[in-house]
Amino acid sequence: MADTDEPDPRHGEHLPRLRPGRQPPPPSWLPRQRRGTTPQMIGRYPDFDVLDAADAWDDATRRVVMARLEPSGPLRFFTPAEEPTLRAFCDTALAQDADPRVPVAEMVDAKLAAGRLDGYRYADMPDDRDTWRLALRGLDHTADQGYRTGFAGCTAEQREAIVGEFAAGRLVGDALDELDVARAWSVVMRAVLSEFYSHPWAWNEIGFGGPAYPRGFLRLGGPGREGPGVREPFESPGAFADDPVRRRTDG
Amino acid sequence: MGDFWRGLLKGAVGPRDNDSRFLLDVHARDLPGEATMRRYRDDDEVDLVIVGAGAGGSVLAQRLARRGWTIVLLEAGPFWHPDEDWVSDEAGSHSLYWTQPRIIGGADPVELGKNNSGRGVGGSMVHYAGYTPRFHPSDFSTYRDDGVGADWPIGYEDLRPHYERVERELPVAGQDWPWGYPHRYPFSPHPVSGAAAKLREGALRCGIEMRVGPVGIVNGTFGNRPHCIYRGYCLQGCKVNAKASPFVTHLPDALAHGVEIRANSMALSVEIDATGRARGVVYADEASGPHRLQRGRSVAVAGYSIETPRLLLASTSRRHPHGLGNNTDQVGRYVMVQGATQAAGRWPEEMRMYKAPPPEISSEQFYETDPARGFARGFSIQTVSPLPIGWAEHVLADGHWGPALREYMRDYNHWATVGVLNELLPHPDNRVTLADEIDPYGQPVARMDYTLGENDKANMVHSTKVITEILDAGGAQDVLTIRRFAHLIGGARMGASPEHSVVDANQRVWGVPNVFVADGSVCPTQGAANPALTIMALASRLAQRMADGSALAGDPPHAPDTSTRSPTASGSPSRATSSPTSPGGSSLTAATS
Repeated sequence: MADTDEPDPRHGEHLPRLRPGRQPPPPSWLPRQRRGTTPQMIGRYPDFDVLDAADAWDDATRRVVMARLEPSGPLRFFTPAEEPTLRAFCDTALAQDADPRVPVAEMVDAKLAAGRLDGYRYADMPDDRDTWRLALRGLDHTADQGYRTGFAGCTAEQREAIVGEFAAGRLVGDALDELDVARAWSVVMRAVLSEFYSHPWAWNEIGFGGPAYPRGFLRLGGPGREGPGVREPFESPGAFADDPVRRRTDG
Repeated sequence: MGDFWRGLLKGAVGPRDNDSRFLLDVHARDLPGEATMRRYRDDDEVDLVIVGAGAGGSVLAQRLARRGWTIVLLEAGPFWHPDEDWVSDEAGSHSLYWTQPRIIGGADPVELGKNNSGRGVGGSMVHYAGYTPRFHPSDFSTYRDDGVGADWPIGYEDLRPHYERVERELPVAGQDWPWGYPHRYPFSPHPVSGAAAKLREGALRCGIEMRVGPVGIVNGTFGNRPHCIYRGYCLQGCKVNAKASPFVTHLPDALAHGVEIRANSMALSVEIDATGRARGVVYADEASGPHRLQRGRSVAVAGYSIETPRLLLASTSRRHPHGLGNNTDQVGRYVMVQGATQAAGRWPEEMRMYKAPPPEISSEQFYETDPARGFARGFSIQTVSPLPIGWAEHVLADGHWGPALREYMRDYNHWATVGVLNELLPHPDNRVTLADEIDPYGQPVARMDYTLGENDKANMVHSTKVITEILDAGGAQDVLTIRRFAHLIGGARMGASPEHSVVDANQRVWGVPNVFVADGSVCPTQGAANPALTIMALASRLAQRMADGSALAGDPPHAPDTSTRSPTASGSPSRATSSPTSPGGSSLTAATS
């Protein structure tokens, strides 16, 4: 890709709200991950792997985080019939269009199977577990009406259009007629996002420092001698930090 | 005391009658004394049974145990062993929240769970952010002054000595505080992070003054509690022991004075005998387990704004067919939350807002009513720092998903977030009731209905504009906003008459001689301040009045109103209450004047 097509992050040219159509540039402007793993191997911190610091974490935290890297078993909560729709939805809602993927479908399934709910239910909504099932049926129903196929059978563009309807609270279907669709969207997305961004691969993608106990942070980037330029020795800067020389040249 | 000595002694003066900081272990986070804790039998009639080991119940227990009371503290959640149970991880902290079924309704339902509830020894302060502002004197008379909300049966001066005492116990770190009743803090302010500095810059350009703190986070060392390590996981439970919660500030001392903390014990009802007095608390130590009765000469309910009304409503008897204190249909009403809209701004440089405590700097410049704004009462401004899952919810709330959401998430390190706390007004129809649904203990599930009023909406719109202006003035390239709520308060409010309240000025339930409410649910208004410190100060005051017997008398005399005078102008303000002195209360004014 020619350099002129690349957005300049210093000026926020990659930020969806500042672009026509409120959509980001295609991820091809991002560097490939060189160290560790990120979802789809893209990210803004190609030389950062949060797992490098895992030996500095306390045992309890390390156990919890590392367990997310274990291979996930078969689904326990969702039925085989629901599985393709679930996977297609998780991929579309999180723009995970290639491997490596954070196994969000499995993580959501484990959470629902274990009954780890959030501690509240809207008065006009069913249990979160039923909301998930109804939402998946609504996706299939909408896909069937528009494209004569199930949600999982749609093209990427078709799926994005359907999820866009869901996000706007306009999803329809036999199952969803009695449901507040906007609230159903918030229920399913809350689960999807909290699983995706609990995964260390996603932390690598966004340059999050991860669990810092018992080590902590010393350089907070505040005023005085510090300033935002001063980093912890174990942090690696973003690929598009202030210094333009650091910009990617390997096309 | 002059400024020189005050400056020199900053961070060196601790409370005299609370040894928690010395009892903690330097090398382990477990609550010392758990293994040797005193145990009572169910049929031991203890002096006091407290329901809920959070901010209110723990302070009450610590204070009264020091006065020789025998106390059992019933807690629905687990007895934490933080080294094993708590993690530096957002998703992994699920067990800290009250995740039992609850129903939310009304036109503006309030999400519960991780946002505003806690379960386990230490309560929700285990995972609160750490902001510990005081209420303003104006909060106690909003009806008289502004024609909205309600007037408290007590005044700021009743609470002030307890604010000072609790601030010393937490201890609170912050700059000298110019708003409300001007005061100082026992510990110096924490350093400002890059993200918070950016926001302060923007605020200054808008003519808004922001100050560092006040936070209940150790800056320096405090007994055996170490300095904060700025790892940013305040909302997931502090494994450092730097952030204050009853688990480190009051329960170690309570255990050393003979309190029993009975964890995993869900209170089901307060049992009332034929004479109308409470005999104790019925509880179950496992779901669908047998019902047990812990006998007690008095009972204090400290389950917070949902569980306290739920327990009172479930405590029906021939004398109280609609629940305890509910003869005039007041239990569960006037539940409040605060508007907590957050706006994030984007800058070219990396700020990495996950470093430093999420609570950093705040402003109470807009706290009181300003007629020019067109609504009553106001809001405060506070910086916050969401971790990745919190940030994802922020981005989603602004309407982004899929590729756009991923793009904003990748930009995480370039953002700084500022939030507001709106004082939303109490309304009788915002209330907690019992639903038809039954939980695993066989108890009716709580339902919370919430609807915003016009004044509330105007407040929220205006405050969102102010924080957006802060970001613009600071040069933010892009702004993302999430509308949300925070904190709970009210539901069993105190008042001057049983027709309009659940408890009297002594926090004693109307019509029951020996049942008290010792948590945030007694507050008739909430100000624009985080409630933790006020809940602790109220419990501290209640303990003093229970210990000297004045809580069992009629209404306490109203304290002289000196709240409009600043401490420096007035020299040594008079003592707050006319009650007999307690060792803690009497030493406070001397030390601060």
